[in-house]
Amino acid sequence: MSQNKMPAAGPLKADPVLEVRGLSVTFTRSGKEFRAVDNVFFSVEAGETLGLVGESGSGKTTIGRALLRLLTSAGTSIDGQVLYRGRDLSALSRAEMRKLRGRLQMIFQDPVSSFNPRRKVEDIVAEGLDIQGFPKAERAERIEAALAAVGFNRALVAGRRPHQFSGGQCQRIAIARALAVEPDLIVCDEPVASLDVSVQAHIINLLQDIRADRKLGLIFISHDLAVVKNVSDKVAVLYMGKIVEVGTGAQIYDRPAHPYTRTLLEAVPVVDASRKLVPERERSLKPSRMRPPSGCAFRTRCPRASDKCAEREPLLSPAPGGQLVACHHPHDEPAPGLKAAAA
Amino acid sequence: MTGARSRKPAGKPVADPQSLSEAVAAARPRLSRLRLPGGTPVEAVCAAFLLLLVLLALFVDFIPGLASPNFPYGDFSQPPDLTLNGILGTDAIGRSILSRVLYGARTSISIVFFATLISLGFGLLFGMVAGFYRGSVERAVDLYANTMASLPPILVILALVASTGSSVFTITVALGILDIGTYARVAKGGVISQSNRDYILAARAMGASDARLLLKEILPNLVPALTAIVPTLMAGLIITEGSLSFLGYGIPAPAPSWGGMIASSTDLLSRYPLLIFGPVLAIVITVYALNTVGDYFARRLSSRERQG
Repeated sequence: MSQNKMPAAGPLKADPVLEVRGLSVTFTRSGKEFRAVDNVFFSVEAGETLGLVGESGSGKTTIGRALLRLLTSAGTSIDGQVLYRGRDLSALSRAEMRKLRGRLQMIFQDPVSSFNPRRKVEDIVAEGLDIQGFPKAERAERIEAALAAVGFNRALVAGRRPHQFSGGQCQRIAIARALAVEPDLIVCDEPVASLDVSVQAHIINLLQDIRADRKLGLIFISHDLAVVKNVSDKVAVLYMGKIVEVGTGAQIYDRPAHPYTRTLLEAVPVVDASRKLVPERERSLKPSRMRPPSGCAFRTRCPRASDKCAEREPLLSPAPGGQLVACHHPHDEPAPGLKAAAA
Repeated sequence: MTGARSRKPAGKPVADPQSLSEAVAAARPRLSRLRLPGGTPVEAVCAAFLLLLVLLALFVDFIPGLASPNFPYGDFSQPPDLTLNGILGTDAIGRSILSRVLYGARTSISIVFFATLISLGFGLLFGMVAGFYRGSVERAVDLYANTMASLPPILVILALVASTGSSVFTITVALGILDIGTYARVAKGGVISQSNRDYILAARAMGASDARLLLKEILPNLVPALTAIVPTLMAGLIITEGSLSFLGYGIPAPAPSWGGMIASSTDLLSRYPLLIFGPVLAIVITVYALNTVGDYFARRLSSRERQG
């Protein structure tokens, strides 16, 4: 039944929940400029998951926070547009933005620190409803429903505090808190990175079910390619604040075109040592973000770098696998063994 | 959820969620939060003493048989005896020292209490705003706190009281001004450390206003740190207020005050040394008790932080 209701694949889909056009974030600290996010484009449809992957410092978290306008304003300039159902968030007044906040929610890496230590679980889940000014009668119903959606019974959590729950349970409470205000989009910032592997699967499945049930858009931020592969319809690979490759999960994982994507896939630990991909050559250290190299930011670490890479910055263009890649010398052969390694 | 389930009493099979939750609620220890754990007997005695002092200060008028603190009730400069009014002796004009110490406690406690309200109120206001918005507000608050901390407190107080004339009101306000900087610093540090936690970001993502973030999210988390410093700073105020009276800039003469009593009994110290004990003991024990209780709160705070 759901088969024919699935939206058609391809870039031409109408009415995305969130569309990002040319988002750049620049931090200025004691006179030095630091471009954390550089001219990023993407969109998320209802019921779709976009995975944002990259190493630490690649700007993943900054993108997530910039989307929801959660970055502190001092020393930060944000350019470009973030459109929620066609409305530019940066054009909204503070009051208008506050009203809209219920529609866009966030889940954090460490659920425990994302709860006010002095609150009870019910009050944590109720917080968004309280802030958004829902009438008392409606609140109880919504809290009940949100807790039920993550497998909790309200009576069971009544009167308890977060520290009485395990990490996975706390992450479920965090999901319930986000769901209570019935958002259209949830930014999940490394939601499983602090959890045991067995619990990770549970949380990921839960997020997937909720996304399908409620037609939610999810932005799934992670450094872990294996995790992102399992959840994402679309994957964007970030390097030094730029999207270097973007496509469907299958395109990225079966035929990674950007050398950086390959590097990331090689870094996925493999149990079977014979299937481990051997890096093409030793790579140099990551260049400083304060003084990015000319041309392609990855060229100093890239085994395929040429003179052209130093002269001209590569732009996103179609790769043989069907995805978009920002590289002058993309890989065009499938990656044998990569699939197994990433799975 | 599995954890919650395993807590239900083992022998009692539960069928529907209603009775399951009741079983869970019954198994949960409820009053565990109300206990004050980890206090030594000395700390308990100190806390009890402070409580008693407050009660005495509030209800000193109703103590049967207690002489007036302002009129002589017997011979002057009598050594302590075993009557109620004479237990600490009588002063140079025959007033009961016990009565004056107790009425003095009322003066001292109310001055310290209202001064703390002033400094805590303004300190929290300035400190929280400085910690939350940083920038020039923070620099101004830092400048104020550092300036106040670098001046000898007694000089500041003397200057303030000398310029406005000494009354209970001016002394209270002057003492209140003294600690604003200290409270502001503690509040500022607390706000800065809390602001970096994800729960603030989460509340912001829900649409919380700055006022809500400060008052409903951050402020409750500052309470433990403040509970630890309030008694210690109060002890400092008792000493300062005593010194002020001793120097003659305290509560105007006929009203009883601990510092003033020490000052007047110093004149006769060589002839009637026992008469200084009443007010001195009152100050020493009160300050000791306040510091001990402050240490208790500080220790509980740090052990709670270690638990996460």
